[in-house]
Amino acid sequence: MDDFGRSIPKTIGAWEARETDRVFDRTTLYDYMDGGAEVFLAFDFREVWSRRYAGPDGGTEGRELTLDIYDMGSPAEAFGIFSCDREDPEAGIGQESEAGFGLLRFWQGRYFVTVTAAGDDETSQRAVLDVGRTVVGLLGPPGPKPDLIGYLPAGSLRADRTSFFHSNVNLNNRYFVASENILGLDRSTDCVFAEYDAAAGEAGCLLIVRYPDAAKAEAARRSFLAAYLPEAGAEGLARTENKKWVLALRKEAVLVVVFEAPDPDWARTLASSVPSFKSPSR
Amino acid sequence: MTPIITRRDFLKGTTAVVLGAHLARAQEPAAAKTARVVLIRHAGVLDENSAINPDILQGMLDEAVMKLLDESDPVAAFGRLVKPGETVGIKTNVWSYLPTPKELEAAIKRRLVDAGIAEDRIGLDDHTVRTNPLFINATSLINVRPLRTHYLSGMSGTLKNYIMFAESQPDYHPDSCADLGALFKLPIVQGKTRLNILCALTPQFHGRGPHHFSRRYVWAYKGLFVGRDPVAVDTIGLRLIMAKRREVLGKAQELPPVPKHIQLADMRHGIGTSDINAIEFIKLGWGEDILI
Repeated sequence: MDDFGRSIPKTIGAWEARETDRVFDRTTLYDYMDGGAEVFLAFDFREVWSRRYAGPDGGTEGRELTLDIYDMGSPAEAFGIFSCDREDPEAGIGQESEAGFGLLRFWQGRYFVTVTAAGDDETSQRAVLDVGRTVVGLLGPPGPKPDLIGYLPAGSLRADRTSFFHSNVNLNNRYFVASENILGLDRSTDCVFAEYDAAAGEAGCLLIVRYPDAAKAEAARRSFLAAYLPEAGAEGLARTENKKWVLALRKEAVLVVVFEAPDPDWARTLASSVPSFKSPSR
Repeated sequence: MTPIITRRDFLKGTTAVVLGAHLARAQEPAAAKTARVVLIRHAGVLDENSAINPDILQGMLDEAVMKLLDESDPVAAFGRLVKPGETVGIKTNVWSYLPTPKELEAAIKRRLVDAGIAEDRIGLDDHTVRTNPLFINATSLINVRPLRTHYLSGMSGTLKNYIMFAESQPDYHPDSCADLGALFKLPIVQGKTRLNILCALTPQFHGRGPHHFSRRYVWAYKGLFVGRDPVAVDTIGLRLIMAKRREVLGKAQELPPVPKHIQLADMRHGIGTSDINAIEFIKLGWGEDILI
């Protein structure tokens, strides 16, 4: 990781670095976060550099910021960790960002960055953005999103609701499917979960999973149908209890699943709009 | 093997499978009550800035433990849990975003002293319990922590609080922390837990960001859950989390994915009950917005 300890100012506005900068890697990440480490480890996370800043009062009133810069190994992985947890408005920092309630998240090149305020007062909120703007210029050039994103049909895609990931823990926190890993997801699979405008403000969902080979994709399709959609026929289509439709079909080494479709044709059209894939996952 | 819970179970309204453990058991009309869980709430325990009133909190703890043990005096109640001469470890939780309140730790410690435990034989620790002599030599443990969601295990409750007793924490992470119940069979722990307290003064019902914390998902519930059975305590705690998620996030996000470890602590490890029909759930105090 770059020498952020030197390049990032120890004073940003009225906020001063405190304590010693810390770095955690794949083996020590558990020492830093309780509940989030597995999420990062499901990606190609390398290490995180962390610094705390005390507020204008020296931190005596509890004003404190934490800056975390995660080296995710590649821009695709940085986009992935960013994309799995978006709720707030764009902040205009880095390649994509969001900010709200004392939390700024953005990605730039292979880095994913969070700035977290201990308080959510206006002073802290402004400082969170100031720190983000100071740091982003030190992270190098932008990088490309995962190629799998390019396979999403355009149509009524809600672009800011698109997530890229590999593992079941990320899928379930994005869109709970099942308590077991019925799709056989792991670090060898690439997944995109996207939302599309359906009807009356509702969203239909598209999951694309790229497996290492067609045999694994077919095994996942069968597993999914058996556990989630046992009444589906050969087409892999069935209506669920909320009167929405689910469709699962395989295209070579890729599994395409449509959730929350308003009708069968909507599901078929969306699934068939996913182009065929030339190569399996890494 | 535990049944696979899918999104469709929510659509069918069969999520009792995770609340009351096994469906077949949940359908039994009159299961014997094998565990008691007491919820106590007080509107005045937090002020508008969430500062804790220690006297009210002490009173809440006392009343809950008395009810749990059918005693009319708090010292007598704690005297049922520990005996003079013992070494007692209070397994707390120091997670910086939502730690066990110091006031609650002090309230527990005060009653342990009142019950005859020497102050220098009371341990209070989280991350270093495995090497802390007061925990190595403890004959009784008090398990106390806040109630919150957890990205991996779905919920952090009294079961997950013991992960610091593990030689390797990552060993307990696979499959959504499915085997947290096994922690209660570790030699340093087994048979020693006298009381489980799930602090719901300001529980967290959803998480965000790298540390899975956001103030927007914390609310002033002003309650404590207490029980002898950690599985039963967490089973009820999960009901509160789910009720709040249903209210704020909607039915589709009712379940934090995926708190299977609670059910498995019962069904696989046998350390308590997750059968809602076998839990005597007693509610005391303030009833506004109680949710469960």
